[in-house]
Amino acid sequence: MQKERILIVDDSEMNRSILADMLNDEFECEEAEDGERALGILRTSAGKFSLVLLDIVMPKKDGFDVLAEMNRTGLIEDLPVIMVSAETASAQIERAYELGATDFIMRPFDASIVHRRVVNTIFLYAKQRKLVGIIESQIAEKERSSSMMVDILSHIVEFRNGESGQHILHVRTITDFLLRALIRKTDRYLLTEAEISVIGMASALHDIGKIGIDDKILNKPGKLTDEEFAAMKQHSLIGANMLESLAEHREDPLVKCAYEICRWHHERWDGRGYPDGLKGDEIPISAQIVALADVYDALTSERVYKPPFSPEQAKEMILTGKCGAFNPLLLECLSDEFDRIREMLSKNVSEKAAKREIRNFADAAIHAKGASASERTLKLLDYERMKFNFYAELTEEIQFEYNVPEDFLKMSSWGAKKLGIPQELFHPATNPKLSEQLGENWFSGLGAFLKKMSPARPEFRRECMLAVGGEHRWYDVIMRSIWTDDASPSIESVIGKLVDVHDTHVAMSELKEKSIRDPLTGLLNREGTGEELIRKFEKFPEKKYAVAVFDVDSFKSANDVYGHLFGDKVLCEVSERLVHSTRVHDLCARIGGDEFLIVFEYDADIHPIIARVFRSLCGPVGEFDLTVSMGVVEMTEKGQDFTELFRRADLALYAAKNGGKASYRFYDESLEEE
Amino acid sequence: MTIRECYDALGGNYDDVMGRLRSERLVQKFVLKFCSDGSFDLLLRSLEEGNVQEAFRAAHTIKGMCQNLSFTRLERSATAITEVLRGGDLAGAAPLLPAVREDYEVTVRAISEFAENVQA
Repeated sequence: MQKERILIVDDSEMNRSILADMLNDEFECEEAEDGERALGILRTSAGKFSLVLLDIVMPKKDGFDVLAEMNRTGLIEDLPVIMVSAETASAQIERAYELGATDFIMRPFDASIVHRRVVNTIFLYAKQRKLVGIIESQIAEKERSSSMMVDILSHIVEFRNGESGQHILHVRTITDFLLRALIRKTDRYLLTEAEISVIGMASALHDIGKIGIDDKILNKPGKLTDEEFAAMKQHSLIGANMLESLAEHREDPLVKCAYEICRWHHERWDGRGYPDGLKGDEIPISAQIVALADVYDALTSERVYKPPFSPEQAKEMILTGKCGAFNPLLLECLSDEFDRIREMLSKNVSEKAAKREIRNFADAAIHAKGASASERTLKLLDYERMKFNFYAELTEEIQFEYNVPEDFLKMSSWGAKKLGIPQELFHPATNPKLSEQLGENWFSGLGAFLKKMSPARPEFRRECMLAVGGEHRWYDVIMRSIWTDDASPSIESVIGKLVDVHDTHVAMSELKEKSIRDPLTGLLNREGTGEELIRKFEKFPEKKYAVAVFDVDSFKSANDVYGHLFGDKVLCEVSERLVHSTRVHDLCARIGGDEFLIVFEYDADIHPIIARVFRSLCGPVGEFDLTVSMGVVEMTEKGQDFTELFRRADLALYAAKNGGKASYRFYDESLEEE
Repeated sequence: MTIRECYDALGGNYDDVMGRLRSERLVQKFVLKFCSDGSFDLLLRSLEEGNVQEAFRAAHTIKGMCQNLSFTRLERSATAITEVLRGGDLAGAAPLLPAVREDYEVTVRAISEFAENVQA
């Protein structure tokens, strides 16, 4: 990971090296001994720096000169500057802020404050750059969709109109050329880049009112009657009314502009047009331009009622006032741009339009609109962050946010305190305190967790034993990864928390342990046996197993004669002898009143083992002569059903009992017949 | 002579500088660097040549270093001359120079003694 680079500008070598020493661990520092040298470095390689620390009083060029130059080149927008100075006069500080300095650190400074401010500033700028990027792409997207809607709408009108389909594109192209020529010529019409782009788009809608005109009139070859012409003229008002009735969007710049164009693109400079008879600059400039573009393209195109004129003829007819009456300034623009317009229209216009749209997107994205939106977003973000911090303070959790490309870790303040690290930290992998707190391998462990996540399954949760602060405890690790939104997604950041669940975890395991054990003898109970066996058979399927079931002979009479307490004592004694005579791999359980079960795991011959265990189980307990009867079955095939094994062992046990108790018996098939 | 004793001798505030820089190694490193800085010579030369701008800058640098290192005594006289020079008052600066010179010499002497100790 590349370290962030900081440019330190100060004429005193000592001051520079004090700052560099403070920051060297986490940042790459480059030094400049005066303003001139700093500007030289910035001119050739501003892009590689994330921050400038700038002194004020310096020879050649001072700090204010550097700020002024950064303003002139616009660099101040992208590269944050923190002033470091002994100047205490508020006028000086004010001036630095006015010139775009992000922060001001007063000398003599405190190492931790310098560090904190540098980290904060770098991180904020990185965040902001990302946000501006997001907003730019969203605006471009919005622009593209509205442009598409406008295209669809205007093509509907064209189809009905029987026009070539190129008219809308032509009008738009001519409008664009005239507009640009106009703003070069005069500043009478204050048009921003955004307005120009809106007029271009809205020009496509100039004839939408024709949708309300009868087909027969629209497509009538030859001259219209007076009555038909009167009906035709309605299209400008119809279009305007359509747009005005869009209650929800009436205030939208595009709709407002389209309204002007629809309503007034048949007005004339001399006041003899329709519908309102506006005169001169009473007619909005957008409508004036579209009107001229409309007339020019109508003249040069073939219509049902006329053949096309050549571009030169059309120009002549317009300039001499044979066709319409226009703003003299616009007529000049038409003359100026004539060659380019003619050439442009003769080519495939749609291809050009696509290129122009791309440029429009870029313009819109860079435009101030983006900045105001991102300010609002930043404010919202601040609000969310405040809320988040508030809740984070209330819980005793280690909450974190790890930004992968920046290699930057941010902790909740409780978490930072618990781990004894700063809340904000670059390059956490190499932080000695974190390794001490979480163990040397914590970062590669985190990497392994990250590998388990994907855009489709961005969440991860596992209970882990962590040695936070040297104490081993169970933590619930919950993480969510945030992925880049491109063809090959990668993890952009990870948010998550570590919750200490040690006490619950321990309580749960104890409860679980209790539920599978017999409370009197501490052996497994029937449920526990089933679970354990399944695990055992799965884990070591290659081993040999035998199942033995036994009960205490005459246990009922022992109970009757000596009492239940003695009965319990006998059971405990049996379980003790059982545990002592079997090995750790064998499984011992009390599966009913005086009924026990053993699962042997063995290598060679089971018979001597059974004989030995049987012997150690028998023997007096007080006055009671304890003997047992036992049935044994060998597992003959792998994965044999446990219930079946149990049934066979039980069968052998009854055979042993019937044979006079105090004995054991192996299962064989002859038992099935009895 | 320890670094603290050096600070006592030159009229500085050792606790303050440690509070800010947080590392004895750093403090020692920069204290030792102080003597090799040419600003004081530049101040003297500029005053002689009557170059008030250069003189101001030199005084300002000395003041800045003193602030960084918490050399309180020299900082006081350097600040006074800096403010007079900022106003372009060459004549007003002359009577302030002896105090700066004396404080500077005290500072350099203390540091030299400390430096010998470090080398030994």
